[in-house]
Amino acid sequence: MTRRERVYSCIHADTYKYFLPREIVLDTWKRLESKYGRAVTSPGFGVVEIRTPALLLRSTRMLNPITVIRRRACSTEGVASLHQLLRFEVNDHPLPRTHP
Amino acid sequence: MSAALPSPSFDRNEVRARFALDYVRDRHRRLIAGEEVIVHCHHYNSRIQRTVEGAAGIDGKAIFRTAARTAFLRQITAGFRDGDDETARWAVAEELFAELGYGSLDLADPASDTVHQSAGHFVEGWGVAFADQSKPVCTLAEGFIEAAFMAVRGESVEVRETHCMHCGASQCSFSIRRGVEAWTAPSRPARRESVSTSADAELADSNIDDNAIIQAVVGLPIRGGDDGLIPAFGVYLANTPADFYNQVAIEFVEAMSESGQRETACRLLSEAGESCAMNTFRGIMDSAEWEALVAPMLQEPADTLFALVALSNAFGWGNWRITEHEPGETLEIVSFNGYEALGFLESRGQATQAQCWMLQGVSAGMMALVYGEGSFSERFGTYLTEEHDCIAKGNTMCAFAVEES
Repeated sequence: MTRRERVYSCIHADTYKYFLPREIVLDTWKRLESKYGRAVTSPGFGVVEIRTPALLLRSTRMLNPITVIRRRACSTEGVASLHQLLRFEVNDHPLPRTHP
Repeated sequence: MSAALPSPSFDRNEVRARFALDYVRDRHRRLIAGEEVIVHCHHYNSRIQRTVEGAAGIDGKAIFRTAARTAFLRQITAGFRDGDDETARWAVAEELFAELGYGSLDLADPASDTVHQSAGHFVEGWGVAFADQSKPVCTLAEGFIEAAFMAVRGESVEVRETHCMHCGASQCSFSIRRGVEAWTAPSRPARRESVSTSADAELADSNIDDNAIIQAVVGLPIRGGDDGLIPAFGVYLANTPADFYNQVAIEFVEAMSESGQRETACRLLSEAGESCAMNTFRGIMDSAEWEALVAPMLQEPADTLFALVALSNAFGWGNWRITEHEPGETLEIVSFNGYEALGFLESRGQATQAQCWMLQGVSAGMMALVYGEGSFSERFGTYLTEEHDCIAKGNTMCAFAVEES
Protein backbone atom coordinates (compact mmCIF):
# COMPACT_ATOMS: atom_id res chain seq x y z
CA MET A 1 0.00 0.00 0.00
CA THR A 2 1.30 3.41 -0.89
CA ARG A 3 1.85 5.70 2.09
CA ARG A 4 2.64 9.36 2.27
CA GLU A 5 4.54 11.87 4.36
CA ARG A 6 3.89 15.60 4.58
CA VAL A 7 6.48 18.05 3.23
CA TYR A 8 6.63 21.50 4.77
CA SER A 9 7.84 24.87 3.49
CA CYS A 10 6.82 24.02 -0.01
CA ILE A 11 4.81 25.66 -2.76
CA HIS A 12 1.54 24.34 -1.40
CA ALA A 13 0.52 23.51 2.14
CA ASP A 14 -0.78 20.10 1.04
CA THR A 15 2.45 18.71 -0.32
CA TYR A 16 3.34 15.08 0.29
CA LYS A 17 5.92 12.51 -0.62
CA TYR A 18 4.24 9.30 -1.72
CA PHE A 19 6.18 6.13 -1.01
CA LEU A 20 5.17 3.42 -3.47
CA PRO A 21 5.63 -0.31 -2.99
CA ARG A 22 8.69 -1.22 -5.01
CA GLU A 23 6.82 -3.58 -7.30
CA ILE A 24 4.49 -0.91 -8.67
CA VAL A 25 6.98 1.94 -9.19
CA LEU A 26 7.73 1.50 -12.90
CA ASP A 27 4.16 0.72 -13.81
CA THR A 28 2.96 3.73 -11.86
CA TRP A 29 5.29 6.08 -13.74
CA LYS A 30 4.04 4.65 -17.03
CA ARG A 31 0.49 5.39 -15.99
CA LEU A 32 1.45 8.87 -14.78
CA GLU A 33 3.11 9.65 -18.11
CA SER A 34 0.13 8.31 -19.97
CA LYS A 35 -2.21 10.62 -18.10
CA TYR A 36 -0.10 13.74 -17.50
CA GLY A 37 2.59 13.73 -20.18
CA ARG A 38 6.20 12.78 -20.56
CA ALA A 39 8.57 12.92 -17.59
CA VAL A 40 11.60 15.13 -18.07
CA THR A 41 14.93 14.66 -16.32
CA SER A 42 16.67 17.87 -15.32
CA PRO A 43 20.36 18.35 -16.08
CA GLY A 44 22.79 18.25 -13.19
CA PHE A 45 20.49 17.12 -10.45
CA GLY A 46 18.80 14.35 -12.40
CA VAL A 47 15.37 15.13 -11.03
CA VAL A 48 12.60 13.33 -12.89
CA GLU A 49 9.56 15.53 -13.23
CA ILE A 50 6.13 15.66 -14.81
CA ARG A 51 4.80 19.19 -14.86
CA THR A 52 1.17 20.13 -15.46
CA PRO A 53 -0.73 23.34 -14.69
CA ALA A 54 -2.25 21.58 -11.70
CA LEU A 55 0.47 19.29 -10.41
CA LEU A 56 4.20 18.80 -10.14
CA LEU A 57 5.26 15.18 -9.80
CA ARG A 58 8.92 14.90 -8.85
CA SER A 59 11.42 12.25 -7.91
CA THR A 60 15.04 11.28 -8.14
CA ARG A 61 16.22 8.78 -10.72
CA MET A 62 15.16 6.10 -8.25
CA LEU A 63 11.58 7.15 -9.12
CA ASN A 64 10.43 6.63 -5.54
CA PRO A 65 9.19 8.41 -3.45
CA ILE A 66 7.23 10.82 -5.62
CA THR A 67 6.75 14.33 -4.30
CA VAL A 68 3.38 15.69 -5.38
CA ILE A 69 3.12 19.47 -5.35
CA ARG A 70 -0.29 20.93 -5.96
CA ARG A 71 -0.54 24.14 -7.95
CA ARG A 72 -3.21 26.78 -8.22
CA ALA A 73 -5.19 24.89 -10.86
CA CYS A 74 -5.33 21.73 -8.78
CA SER A 75 -8.81 20.46 -7.90
CA THR A 76 -10.14 17.94 -5.42
CA GLU A 77 -11.14 15.73 -8.32
CA GLY A 78 -7.66 15.97 -9.75
CA VAL A 79 -6.12 14.83 -6.49
CA ALA A 80 -8.57 11.94 -6.23
CA SER A 81 -7.68 10.86 -9.75
CA LEU A 82 -3.97 11.03 -8.95
CA HIS A 83 -4.46 8.98 -5.81
CA GLN A 84 -6.05 6.25 -7.89
CA LEU A 85 -2.99 6.13 -10.11
CA LEU A 86 -0.70 6.06 -7.09
CA ARG A 87 -2.87 3.41 -5.45
CA PHE A 88 -3.18 5.58 -2.42
CA GLU A 89 -6.19 5.69 -0.14
CA VAL A 90 -6.83 8.71 2.02
CA ASN A 91 -7.42 7.09 5.35
CA ASP A 92 -4.21 8.12 6.98
CA HIS A 93 -3.33 10.93 9.29
CA PRO A 94 0.19 11.60 8.11
CA LEU A 95 2.62 12.49 10.81
CA PRO A 96 4.95 15.35 9.98
CA ARG A 97 8.51 14.23 9.41
CA THR A 98 9.67 17.58 10.71
CA HIS A 99 7.89 20.41 12.36
CA PRO A 100 6.70 23.33 10.26
CA MET B 1 -9.85 51.72 -25.11
CA SER B 2 -7.68 51.52 -28.17
CA ALA B 3 -7.13 48.46 -30.25
CA ALA B 4 -4.33 46.16 -29.24
CA LEU B 5 -1.05 46.37 -31.04
CA PRO B 6 -0.70 44.24 -34.17
CA SER B 7 0.15 40.61 -33.83
CA PRO B 8 3.80 40.15 -33.03
CA SER B 9 6.04 39.37 -35.96
CA PHE B 10 8.98 38.42 -33.83
CA ASP B 11 10.18 35.25 -32.21
CA ARG B 12 9.51 35.13 -28.48
CA ASN B 13 12.26 32.56 -28.05
CA GLU B 14 14.65 35.06 -29.57
CA VAL B 15 13.43 37.64 -27.08
CA ARG B 16 13.93 35.20 -24.21
CA ALA B 17 17.46 34.52 -25.47
CA ARG B 18 18.30 38.13 -24.77
CA PHE B 19 17.97 37.28 -21.09
CA ALA B 20 20.33 34.32 -21.05
CA LEU B 21 22.11 33.82 -17.75
CA ASP B 22 25.74 34.85 -17.46
CA TYR B 23 27.20 33.20 -14.36
CA VAL B 24 30.47 34.73 -13.17
CA ARG B 25 32.08 31.74 -11.52
CA ASP B 26 34.91 33.36 -9.60
CA ARG B 27 32.54 35.81 -7.92
CA HIS B 28 29.38 33.68 -7.86
CA ARG B 29 27.36 36.35 -9.60
CA ARG B 30 24.35 35.79 -11.84
CA LEU B 31 23.88 38.42 -14.53
CA ILE B 32 20.76 38.81 -16.66
CA ALA B 33 20.62 41.68 -19.15
CA GLY B 34 23.48 43.36 -17.36
CA GLU B 35 21.90 43.28 -13.91
CA GLU B 36 23.16 41.20 -11.03
CA VAL B 37 20.24 39.04 -9.99
CA ILE B 38 19.76 37.13 -6.78
CA VAL B 39 17.76 33.92 -6.64
CA HIS B 40 15.39 33.93 -3.69
CA CYS B 41 12.16 32.03 -3.22
CA HIS B 42 8.58 32.98 -2.50
CA HIS B 43 9.15 32.61 1.25
CA TYR B 44 11.79 35.33 1.43
CA ASN B 45 10.28 37.64 -1.14
CA SER B 46 6.84 37.69 0.45
CA ARG B 47 8.34 38.12 3.91
CA ILE B 48 10.62 41.00 2.98
CA GLN B 49 7.64 42.65 1.30
CA ARG B 50 5.44 42.20 4.35
CA THR B 51 8.20 43.55 6.58
CA VAL B 52 8.55 46.74 4.55
CA GLU B 53 4.91 47.29 3.65
CA GLY B 54 3.62 46.34 7.07
CA ALA B 55 5.69 48.82 9.05
CA ALA B 56 3.63 51.58 10.62
CA GLY B 57 4.42 55.21 9.91
CA ILE B 58 6.19 54.75 6.58
CA ASP B 59 5.00 54.23 3.01
CA GLY B 60 6.47 50.80 2.51
CA LYS B 61 4.54 50.18 -0.69
CA ALA B 62 6.13 53.25 -2.26
CA ILE B 63 9.58 52.02 -1.26
CA PHE B 64 8.91 48.61 -2.81
CA ARG B 65 7.33 49.98 -5.97
CA THR B 66 9.95 52.67 -6.58
CA ALA B 67 12.81 50.22 -6.09
CA ALA B 68 11.19 47.91 -8.63
CA ARG B 69 10.70 50.53 -11.31
CA THR B 70 14.24 51.83 -10.86
CA ALA B 71 15.88 48.42 -11.19
CA PHE B 72 13.64 47.12 -13.95
CA LEU B 73 13.83 50.24 -16.10
CA ARG B 74 17.51 49.48 -16.66
CA GLN B 75 16.95 45.78 -17.19
CA ILE B 76 14.04 46.16 -19.63
CA THR B 77 15.95 48.77 -21.62
CA ALA B 78 18.98 46.48 -21.76
CA GLY B 79 16.77 43.91 -23.49
CA PHE B 80 15.97 46.19 -26.43
CA ARG B 81 17.77 45.77 -29.72
CA ASP B 82 18.19 48.08 -32.69
CA GLY B 83 15.23 47.64 -34.98
CA ASP B 84 12.75 46.66 -32.27
CA ASP B 85 9.41 48.30 -32.93
CA GLU B 86 7.02 49.16 -30.12
CA THR B 87 5.32 45.78 -30.26
CA ALA B 88 8.63 44.06 -29.84
CA ARG B 89 9.56 46.30 -26.95
CA TRP B 90 6.39 45.48 -25.06
CA ALA B 91 7.13 41.83 -25.69
CA VAL B 92 10.60 42.30 -24.25
CA ALA B 93 9.06 43.64 -21.05
CA GLU B 94 6.54 40.81 -20.88
CA GLU B 95 9.15 38.16 -21.48
CA LEU B 96 11.59 39.63 -18.96
CA PHE B 97 8.88 39.54 -16.28
CA ALA B 98 8.23 35.89 -17.07
CA GLU B 99 11.87 34.97 -17.53
CA LEU B 100 12.73 36.28 -14.07
CA GLY B 101 9.94 34.20 -12.56
CA TYR B 102 7.48 36.89 -11.49
CA GLY B 103 4.57 35.50 -13.47
CA SER B 104 2.60 36.30 -16.56
CA LEU B 105 1.77 39.90 -17.51
CA ASP B 106 -0.29 40.86 -20.54
CA LEU B 107 1.13 44.07 -22.01
CA ALA B 108 -0.28 43.55 -25.50
CA ASP B 109 -2.72 46.45 -25.18
CA PRO B 110 -0.73 49.35 -23.73
CA ALA B 111 -3.35 51.89 -24.79
CA SER B 112 -5.79 50.30 -22.38
CA ASP B 113 -6.35 51.65 -18.89
CA THR B 114 -5.83 48.21 -17.40
CA VAL B 115 -3.10 45.57 -17.43
CA HIS B 116 -3.73 42.01 -16.31
CA GLN B 117 -1.58 39.34 -14.71
CA SER B 118 -2.63 35.69 -14.85
CA ALA B 119 0.06 34.29 -12.52
CA GLY B 120 2.22 35.96 -9.91
CA HIS B 121 5.21 34.99 -7.79
CA PHE B 122 4.03 37.13 -4.90
CA VAL B 123 0.50 35.77 -5.18
CA GLU B 124 1.90 32.30 -4.62
CA GLY B 125 4.23 33.42 -1.83
CA TRP B 126 1.58 35.21 0.18
CA GLY B 127 -0.88 32.41 -0.41
CA VAL B 128 1.41 29.94 1.35
CA ALA B 129 2.80 32.17 4.05
CA PHE B 130 0.07 34.49 5.22
CA ALA B 131 -3.60 34.09 5.99
CA ASP B 132 -4.51 37.76 5.46
CA GLN B 133 -6.15 38.06 2.03
CA SER B 134 -7.47 41.59 2.42
CA LYS B 135 -4.86 43.49 0.40
CA PRO B 136 -3.35 43.17 -3.07
CA VAL B 137 0.25 41.96 -2.94
CA CYS B 138 1.70 42.60 -6.40
CA THR B 139 3.56 45.83 -5.63
CA LEU B 140 6.65 44.69 -7.49
CA ALA B 141 4.52 44.22 -10.61
CA GLU B 142 3.21 47.78 -10.20
CA GLY B 143 6.78 49.07 -10.30
CA PHE B 144 7.66 46.77 -13.18
CA ILE B 145 4.75 48.03 -15.29
CA GLU B 146 5.65 51.66 -14.54
CA ALA B 147 9.19 50.86 -15.66
CA ALA B 148 7.90 49.19 -18.83
CA PHE B 149 5.89 52.27 -19.85
CA MET B 150 8.94 54.44 -19.28
CA ALA B 151 11.27 52.08 -21.14
CA VAL B 152 8.99 51.51 -24.14
CA ARG B 153 7.31 54.90 -24.52
CA GLY B 154 9.18 57.27 -22.24
CA GLU B 155 5.84 57.75 -20.50
CA SER B 156 5.33 58.31 -16.79
CA VAL B 157 2.29 56.42 -15.53
CA GLU B 158 1.00 55.49 -12.11
CA VAL B 159 0.13 51.82 -11.75
CA ARG B 160 -1.98 50.44 -8.93
CA GLU B 161 -3.30 46.94 -8.45
CA THR B 162 -7.08 47.00 -8.23
CA HIS B 163 -7.81 43.27 -8.12
CA CYS B 164 -5.47 40.56 -6.89
CA MET B 165 -5.56 36.79 -7.17
CA HIS B 166 -4.35 36.68 -3.59
CA CYS B 167 -7.66 38.28 -2.58
CA GLY B 168 -9.69 35.85 -4.66
CA ALA B 169 -9.78 37.53 -8.07
CA SER B 170 -9.52 35.29 -11.12
CA GLN B 171 -6.62 37.41 -12.33
CA CYS B 172 -4.71 40.42 -11.07
CA SER B 173 -5.65 43.79 -12.59
CA PHE B 174 -3.67 47.00 -12.58
CA SER B 175 -5.04 50.44 -13.34
CA ILE B 176 -2.90 52.71 -15.51
CA ARG B 177 -3.17 56.42 -14.74
CA ARG B 178 -1.64 58.75 -17.28
CA GLY B 179 -0.71 62.39 -17.05
CA VAL B 180 1.04 61.96 -13.71
CA GLU B 181 4.10 63.85 -12.61
CA ALA B 182 7.09 62.78 -14.66
CA TRP B 183 9.61 60.60 -12.90
CA THR B 184 13.17 59.81 -13.77
CA ALA B 185 15.31 57.00 -12.47
CA PRO B 186 18.57 57.98 -10.84
CA SER B 187 21.63 56.81 -12.71
CA ARG B 188 23.25 53.78 -11.21
CA PRO B 189 26.38 54.38 -9.09
CA ALA B 190 29.57 52.78 -10.32
CA ARG B 191 29.63 49.05 -9.59
CA ARG B 192 31.95 48.03 -6.74
CA GLU B 193 33.50 44.65 -6.26
CA SER B 194 35.21 43.25 -3.21
CA VAL B 195 38.98 43.18 -3.00
CA SER B 196 39.14 39.82 -1.23
CA THR B 197 38.57 36.27 -2.43
CA SER B 198 38.36 32.77 -1.01
CA ALA B 199 42.14 32.64 -1.12
CA ASP B 200 42.27 35.33 1.57
CA ALA B 201 40.65 33.22 4.27
CA GLU B 202 41.25 29.84 5.82
CA LEU B 203 38.15 27.86 4.96
CA ALA B 204 36.76 25.03 7.02
CA ASP B 205 36.69 21.52 5.56
CA SER B 206 33.61 19.46 4.90
CA ASN B 207 32.44 16.41 3.00
CA ILE B 208 30.58 18.58 0.52
CA ASP B 209 31.64 18.95 -3.09
CA ASP B 210 30.87 22.65 -3.51
CA ASN B 211 31.69 22.66 -7.19
CA ALA B 212 29.36 19.80 -7.98
CA ILE B 213 26.48 21.59 -6.29
CA ILE B 214 27.27 24.93 -7.89
CA GLN B 215 27.64 23.42 -11.36
CA ALA B 216 24.36 21.57 -11.01
CA VAL B 217 22.48 24.71 -9.94
CA VAL B 218 24.06 26.86 -12.60
CA GLY B 219 23.12 24.25 -15.17
CA LEU B 220 19.48 24.39 -14.18
CA PRO B 221 17.20 26.57 -16.29
CA ILE B 222 16.03 28.85 -13.46
CA ARG B 223 13.64 30.71 -15.73
CA GLY B 224 9.91 31.12 -15.88
CA GLY B 225 7.80 28.54 -17.67
CA ASP B 226 4.61 29.13 -19.61
CA ASP B 227 3.05 30.83 -16.61
CA GLY B 228 6.17 32.82 -15.81
CA LEU B 229 6.75 30.96 -12.55
CA ILE B 230 9.79 28.91 -11.55
CA PRO B 231 8.91 25.88 -9.48
CA ALA B 232 12.22 24.33 -8.42
CA PHE B 233 13.63 22.85 -5.22
CA GLY B 234 10.05 22.55 -3.97
CA VAL B 235 9.63 26.34 -3.89
CA TYR B 236 8.89 29.12 -6.36
CA LEU B 237 12.12 30.88 -7.28
CA ALA B 238 12.60 34.32 -8.81
CA ASN B 239 15.61 36.18 -10.17
CA THR B 240 15.54 39.61 -8.58
CA PRO B 241 18.01 42.43 -9.20
CA ALA B 242 20.39 42.91 -6.29
CA ASP B 243 19.85 46.64 -6.67
CA PHE B 244 16.17 46.15 -5.94
CA TYR B 245 16.82 44.37 -2.66
CA ASN B 246 19.45 46.94 -1.70
CA GLN B 247 17.29 49.95 -2.45
CA VAL B 248 14.39 48.43 -0.51
CA ALA B 249 16.53 47.67 2.54
CA ILE B 250 18.43 50.94 2.58
CA GLU B 251 15.36 53.13 2.11
CA PHE B 252 13.39 51.08 4.63
CA VAL B 253 16.07 51.60 7.30
CA GLU B 254 16.34 55.28 6.45
CA ALA B 255 12.58 55.80 6.59
CA MET B 256 12.30 53.99 9.90
CA SER B 257 15.28 55.92 11.27
CA GLU B 258 13.39 59.17 10.78
CA SER B 259 11.00 58.05 13.49
CA GLY B 260 13.71 56.68 15.74
CA GLN B 261 13.15 53.06 14.72
CA ARG B 262 16.42 52.21 13.06
CA GLU B 263 17.21 49.29 15.32
CA THR B 264 13.73 47.86 14.79
CA ALA B 265 14.13 48.14 11.02
CA CYS B 266 17.46 46.34 11.05
CA ARG B 267 16.11 43.61 13.29
CA LEU B 268 13.08 43.11 11.04
CA LEU B 269 15.26 42.77 7.94
CA SER B 270 17.45 40.27 9.73
CA GLU B 271 14.40 38.32 10.88
CA ALA B 272 13.22 38.11 7.28
CA GLY B 273 16.58 36.53 6.47
CA GLU B 274 16.29 34.12 9.38
CA SER B 275 12.82 33.13 8.25
CA CYS B 276 14.20 32.72 4.73
CA ALA B 277 16.83 30.30 5.95
CA MET B 278 14.39 28.16 7.85
CA ASN B 279 11.59 28.10 5.29
CA THR B 280 13.51 28.27 2.03
CA PHE B 281 16.21 25.87 3.05
CA ARG B 282 13.70 23.56 4.73
CA GLY B 283 11.85 23.41 1.43
CA ILE B 284 15.06 22.83 -0.47
CA MET B 285 16.18 20.08 1.91
CA ASP B 286 12.91 18.26 1.25
CA SER B 287 13.22 18.61 -2.51
CA ALA B 288 14.05 15.96 -5.05
CA GLU B 289 17.09 18.01 -6.09
CA TRP B 290 18.52 17.78 -2.60
CA GLU B 291 17.74 14.11 -2.33
CA ALA B 292 19.33 13.39 -5.69
CA LEU B 293 22.58 15.31 -5.46
CA VAL B 294 23.25 16.63 -1.98
CA ALA B 295 21.94 13.98 0.38
CA PRO B 296 24.48 11.36 -0.79
CA MET B 297 27.29 13.74 0.23
CA LEU B 298 26.07 14.21 3.78
CA GLN B 299 27.99 12.32 6.43
CA GLU B 300 27.38 14.50 9.48
CA PRO B 301 24.98 17.32 10.38
CA ALA B 302 27.59 20.01 9.77
CA ASP B 303 27.75 19.02 6.11
CA THR B 304 24.24 20.35 5.68
CA LEU B 305 25.46 23.85 6.51
CA PHE B 306 28.22 23.64 3.93
CA ALA B 307 25.82 22.39 1.30
CA LEU B 308 23.38 25.22 1.99
CA VAL B 309 26.19 27.77 1.67
CA ALA B 310 27.24 26.23 -1.65
CA LEU B 311 23.67 26.42 -2.89
CA SER B 312 23.33 30.06 -1.92
CA ASN B 313 26.56 30.89 -3.70
CA ALA B 314 25.11 29.35 -6.83
CA PHE B 315 21.98 31.43 -6.29
CA GLY B 316 24.09 34.56 -6.75
CA TRP B 317 24.23 35.66 -3.15
CA GLY B 318 27.95 36.14 -3.66
CA ASN B 319 30.96 34.29 -2.42
CA TRP B 320 30.54 33.38 1.22
CA ARG B 321 32.24 30.55 3.03
CA ILE B 322 32.37 28.87 6.41
CA THR B 323 35.68 29.42 8.20
CA GLU B 324 34.99 27.77 11.56
CA HIS B 325 32.23 25.63 12.90
CA GLU B 326 31.52 23.90 16.18
CA PRO B 327 28.48 21.74 15.50
CA GLY B 328 25.46 23.01 17.35
CA GLU B 329 27.49 25.72 19.07
CA THR B 330 29.14 28.31 16.87
CA LEU B 331 29.57 29.24 13.26
CA GLU B 332 31.98 31.67 11.64
CA ILE B 333 31.24 32.72 8.08
CA VAL B 334 32.91 35.25 5.83
CA SER B 335 31.48 36.90 2.75
CA PHE B 336 33.84 38.27 0.13
CA ASN B 337 31.33 40.17 -1.97
CA GLY B 338 27.93 40.21 -0.31
CA TYR B 339 25.50 42.22 -2.40
CA GLU B 340 24.11 44.07 0.60
CA ALA B 341 27.48 45.46 1.69
CA LEU B 342 28.59 46.37 -1.81
CA GLY B 343 25.22 47.89 -2.61
CA PHE B 344 25.37 50.14 0.43
CA LEU B 345 28.90 51.18 -0.39
CA GLU B 346 27.90 52.02 -3.94
CA SER B 347 24.85 54.10 -3.10
CA ARG B 348 25.66 55.61 0.30
CA GLY B 349 29.42 55.41 0.73
CA GLN B 350 31.25 53.98 3.71
CA ALA B 351 29.06 52.98 6.62
CA THR B 352 29.70 53.17 10.34
CA GLN B 353 27.75 49.95 10.99
CA ALA B 354 27.49 46.57 9.33
CA GLN B 355 24.81 46.35 6.63
CA CYS B 356 24.26 42.69 5.71
CA TRP B 357 20.89 42.11 7.32
CA MET B 358 19.89 39.21 5.13
CA LEU B 359 23.13 37.29 5.63
CA GLN B 360 23.02 37.96 9.37
CA GLY B 361 19.56 36.45 9.57
CA VAL B 362 20.33 33.58 7.22
CA SER B 363 23.43 32.63 9.24
CA ALA B 364 21.41 32.35 12.43
CA GLY B 365 18.54 30.65 10.64
CA MET B 366 20.77 27.97 9.13
CA MET B 367 22.06 27.03 12.58
CA ALA B 368 18.53 26.93 13.95
CA LEU B 369 17.40 24.81 11.04
CA VAL B 370 20.21 22.28 11.26
CA TYR B 371 20.64 22.03 15.03
CA GLY B 372 17.43 23.42 16.50
CA GLU B 373 14.54 21.43 17.88
CA GLY B 374 10.82 21.97 17.88
CA SER B 375 8.68 24.04 15.55
CA PHE B 376 10.09 26.89 13.51
CA SER B 377 8.57 29.39 15.91
CA GLU B 378 10.33 27.64 18.77
CA ARG B 379 13.64 27.71 16.93
CA PHE B 380 13.33 31.33 15.85
CA GLY B 381 15.87 33.50 17.65
CA THR B 382 17.72 30.61 19.25
CA TYR B 383 20.91 31.69 17.51
CA LEU B 384 22.23 35.22 17.14
CA THR B 385 24.63 36.65 14.59
CA GLU B 386 27.10 39.44 15.02
CA GLU B 387 28.56 40.87 11.84
CA HIS B 388 31.80 42.20 13.26
CA ASP B 389 33.40 43.11 9.94
CA CYS B 390 31.60 44.47 6.90
CA ILE B 391 32.80 45.59 3.51
CA ALA B 392 30.44 48.53 3.85
CA LYS B 393 32.52 49.71 6.84
CA GLY B 394 35.73 49.47 4.89
CA ASN B 395 36.75 45.94 5.85
CA THR B 396 38.06 43.66 3.12
CA MET B 397 35.36 41.07 3.80
CA CYS B 398 32.23 40.67 5.87
CA ALA B 399 32.55 38.35 8.85
CA PHE B 400 29.72 36.80 10.83
CA ALA B 401 29.89 35.06 14.20
CA VAL B 402 26.88 32.96 15.17
CA GLU B 403 26.24 31.52 18.60
CA GLU B 404 23.36 30.36 20.73
CA SER B 405 21.35 33.20 22.15
